[in-house]
Amino acid sequence: MLLLFFLYLSLFAFLTFSINKFFWFARMPLHGRWELYPVPREPAERARYGGSYYEEPEWWKKPRKISRIGEIKKVLKEMFFIRRLFINQRRHWWFSYSLHAGIYWLILWAVFLLAGAVTELSGQVLITGEDGNFWAGLVYSGTLISGGAGVLLLTVGSTGLFLRRMFNRVLNKYSAPQDYFNLLFILAVAVSGLVVWNGDPGFDYGREILKAMLTFSPVKAGTALTVHILLLGALLIYIPQTKMSHYVCKFFAFHRVLWDNEPNLKNSKIERKIKRTLSNKPPVVSWAAPHAKISEQLKELSGEDQEE
Amino acid sequence: MDNIKPQDVSKPSEQMIKLDNLMSLPAPYDQPGMEPDIKTAGDAWSKNYCASLDGIIGNDMLFRPKTGPEEKQIISKFLNGLDKLFYEESNGGYLQPLLLSFEYCEKCNTCSEACHVFKGSGEKEIYRPVFRSEVFRMLYKKYKKGGSLWRRFLGGDIEINVEAVMRLGELAYRCNLCRRCAQVCPLGLDNGLLAREIRKLFSQEMNMAPKLLHEKGSVLQLKTGSSTGIARAAFLDMMEFMEEDIADRTGKHYKIPIDKKGADILLIHNAGEFFSWPDGPAAFAIIFGEAGLDWTLSSDIAGYDCVNYGLFYDDLQARKLALHQLKAARELGVRRIIIGECGHAHRASAVTSDRLVAGGDNIPRESCFPLLWDLVKNNILKLNPARNNFPVTLHDPCNITRMMGIIQPQRQIIKAVCPWFKEMTPNGVKNYCCGGGSGFAVMNSLNLQEWMCKVSCRMKFKQVLEAFQNTVENKSMIKYVCAPCSNCKGTFRNMLDYYQATSRFNIRYGGLAELIVNAMVEFNRPYLEFLNEDIT
Repeated sequence: MLLLFFLYLSLFAFLTFSINKFFWFARMPLHGRWELYPVPREPAERARYGGSYYEEPEWWKKPRKISRIGEIKKVLKEMFFIRRLFINQRRHWWFSYSLHAGIYWLILWAVFLLAGAVTELSGQVLITGEDGNFWAGLVYSGTLISGGAGVLLLTVGSTGLFLRRMFNRVLNKYSAPQDYFNLLFILAVAVSGLVVWNGDPGFDYGREILKAMLTFSPVKAGTALTVHILLLGALLIYIPQTKMSHYVCKFFAFHRVLWDNEPNLKNSKIERKIKRTLSNKPPVVSWAAPHAKISEQLKELSGEDQEE
Repeated sequence: MDNIKPQDVSKPSEQMIKLDNLMSLPAPYDQPGMEPDIKTAGDAWSKNYCASLDGIIGNDMLFRPKTGPEEKQIISKFLNGLDKLFYEESNGGYLQPLLLSFEYCEKCNTCSEACHVFKGSGEKEIYRPVFRSEVFRMLYKKYKKGGSLWRRFLGGDIEINVEAVMRLGELAYRCNLCRRCAQVCPLGLDNGLLAREIRKLFSQEMNMAPKLLHEKGSVLQLKTGSSTGIARAAFLDMMEFMEEDIADRTGKHYKIPIDKKGADILLIHNAGEFFSWPDGPAAFAIIFGEAGLDWTLSSDIAGYDCVNYGLFYDDLQARKLALHQLKAARELGVRRIIIGECGHAHRASAVTSDRLVAGGDNIPRESCFPLLWDLVKNNILKLNPARNNFPVTLHDPCNITRMMGIIQPQRQIIKAVCPWFKEMTPNGVKNYCCGGGSGFAVMNSLNLQEWMCKVSCRMKFKQVLEAFQNTVENKSMIKYVCAPCSNCKGTFRNMLDYYQATSRFNIRYGGLAELIVNAMVEFNRPYLEFLNEDIT
């Protein structure tokens, strides 16, 4: 039962810490505009060359056009292909992409395991699909392909990145011990997964764990599987505490900083936010330079007409 | 490649790098003797300032402490400021972007390849965008995290001493804040932002901002009305003279309206243009006059100078200046503000100050380029492109293109009035900075200008030579770099002078409005003075 609780705990910790981090960033005060073009939420004809609404005379009179599709397309390209790295640093991309693709395949694998566990709990038998049950075949093959591809890509990616960081002179001098540790931690999870997979090519162990989690039953595990579960769980707890949680940071870095070119138009949502921010109390921590004292003149300049 | 690590900033040495083996330039500058050698700081300067980074002094207010207690005081102030950068109460306006860029860098070094300073310097380690950021991170981690083993694990293995603090202060002025590095970062992080935050710490907490940006820049502007020191009375005289000069040159009188209440447009130029490039503001007066626009200039504080150096180093100064500008517009009762050919002012006015006010105070601000293109496109002005009968290339100011997304209007104008237009590569939103961005163009007190011309301008000079590749050595042919930004014009002035590109190869520079007026058919004389002997 201890392993089962550890699994619940690690999943819960991963989700809680990640969500907490998301809201921590989301609750930060409205920042000054810091956009950088190309901004993909501009209509396609402008986003193509990096243009914006500022190219129009009297731009504030023109209807504001936002391309959510353009934004989503750009996000998906970045998420699934790590496009910026592919274009600008191909050598690094091979291993980075391998690692990230491995994670995506393993997420898919987890979905297949869950589907398989539910299927088996409902009384069906998961085999290769030779009996003509399409669903059973799909789940079984899907589990095999996604799990196999995932663990192999993850192993290659984490090994490659670790070695690059070790032997590339530039990467080496900017890497902290934690950077190596993070990659080794991922590699340890991947290798322990390979060992377990070697003894159970159909990933039956995975479905058994999921079934145990769904039915609150003890997880049956040998030494290799126990080590794998402990490492994976610890990694899940560790990731949100580190910069590996960049799945959260990327959202804010792109959507809330680089692509946020929302103008402060009359009666807009952003105007309401600005009014709220401006009406907040003045800062209690002030800077020490002589010119940093908030002068009456500045208060007068910024205080006028705020309530209009 | 230099065998230098971020930790080395704490170690005493005369100079961390030597400025040799820079990126090679194309012909004819690939020959020996075509560019002067750089002169680094001598002993006298080294005693007073921080010359131990690269022999260059960018921040002339960063004085080297003379005594132990002074050293301690500098370090203590630095650490106080470091704290304040991370407090919502003192840095709420930039806290989120700062934390994102501070915490999540994977140090993949993709940014280095995009940086014109790093590439132009021949890949000197200290100019990698991540080098500066990493020193900043390490000092913070060392200071905040404590406990040696844990600190080292996280990457805080650095000594905090006065050398490290001063070198970091100088390093913040080896970045043009062009943010080209952020365009390529896979995580969307921004080393330019971190460089600016370091500048901010030194200014807002330690009162150590370069004199020409702060004391003789934003402080002077808030006192007299302009960072050039031009007071209201002098400004009015200059405009009167400008009217007369235009009449002499064109044979036509154009009124320059000043403080006209209720005008449609308040036009604000960079006041440096009145001194250094008066043809620019004069060209605007001609164009606006010909188009019959209802416009005015302001003689109020910050109303006749759109400069906002706060954008480069200090949020508080930026805010004060932006609010003054809006106040000037509000008092005149204009409907909109149009920013003249000044890149950083475009961004400071339209973008950075966009979240400072709301409601009626928020007078719309726009760039001059869409309006100018509208006039050209609709044939409001009678133009003959053949009058601009020489090769022209366009420099894209970073603040206008990469940070505002204004790419096409200025191109459409040039294509309409310059038959020999040739783009630089890369251009538009992927342009390279002129090398004088973030204030370098005006910071001429010690030897930063030499570094700027030699290192940070190098990539742009290469682009210019490549754009004119077949005509560079034809001295009889004028080649024109259109730089529609006062700061960039200042950079080109210094760059072309440093490489003697005008005297040797007839490479000129100027703005965009001048090209439009030069193409106007109703004037007998070319508007561009250097053409008077070339066009009949």
